[in-house]
Amino acid sequence: LESGSSLTSPRPGSAAVAMGDDFYVRYYVGHKGKFGHEFLEFELRPDGKLRYANNSQYKHDTLIKKEMFVTKAVLAEAKRIVMTSEISKESDSTWPEGDRVGTQELEIVLGDDHITLSTTKIGSLLDVQSSKDPEGMRVFYYVVQDLKALVFSLINLHVKLRPIG
Amino acid sequence: VRVHPGEDETQEHEMTDSMMMDSEGGVSQSTDAPRNRRGRGHDKEMDMDDDRGGRFESIPENDSGAPGPAKSVEGWIVLVTGVHEEAQEDDLHEHFADYGEIRNMHLNLDRRTGFVKGYALIEYETKKEAQAAIDAANGSSMLDQTLEVSFAFSKGPINK
Repeated sequence: LESGSSLTSPRPGSAAVAMGDDFYVRYYVGHKGKFGHEFLEFELRPDGKLRYANNSQYKHDTLIKKEMFVTKAVLAEAKRIVMTSEISKESDSTWPEGDRVGTQELEIVLGDDHITLSTTKIGSLLDVQSSKDPEGMRVFYYVVQDLKALVFSLINLHVKLRPIG
Repeated sequence: VRVHPGEDETQEHEMTDSMMMDSEGGVSQSTDAPRNRRGRGHDKEMDMDDDRGGRFESIPENDSGAPGPAKSVEGWIVLVTGVHEEAQEDDLHEHFADYGEIRNMHLNLDRRTGFVKGYALIEYETKKEAQAAIDAANGSSMLDQTLEVSFAFSKGPINK
């Protein structure tokens, strides 16, 4: 007999999430070339501030910088995405290093872990397959896709901007 | 732990805003066990330039100081979590159309599996409609999973 769903019960499959634990995520992808510093960066802070910056040649050198506050629920969902990816277990020690052609950085604080993974741009899954650590890079590749999807949707809906990249 | 060079310190908005350092929105420094730090990015000097620091645009708030959900440019956005991986947009329409016209819906997929990632963002035109959806649908069941529904954006930081 169901008396009503509990709003505090952990979602199946996820570890119990204590809201007191800090969670922070930052993603950067970019390079410096003849068109200047082209990059995309977003950051989600423990207080809910989401910051987004995009400098792309496709936007005719317009630097777009937006910030907004998201709610605890959004933060919790981003945290769930990161936790279920298990990216915290990965290491970038064998990954190709970022260079002037392209660099990606993913910085995550999750409980006791603070990781900053750094590598080159990943063009496609073929780059992942042919690397020294295809499994680790695949985890990275997909968690970045998932975070970008969430952040781009939030940006698009809040300020009606269509992020590129 | 990084501080960002290149930020314009005369702008009050960004004075304490280096990403990990400020005591307000930043990550807490635990007094007992320090965090495990891994990854090459820690040792690399962060190549910050003015583009990445400084002021960011935000939607101005009329009633400054009052907490609560924030309006987006064209409406009010609710976040739905606990969405079943096989849910379709039609399922969400059915579940959420009662409360108001759905102006926009984002039902993002897990790019690896092709299934729904587990959340949806729904835009209503008015706060009243969004609140009605939250009040009615939070804790409700869709495809045998319990949904959580709340506002997505806030006027200010999360209070700890």
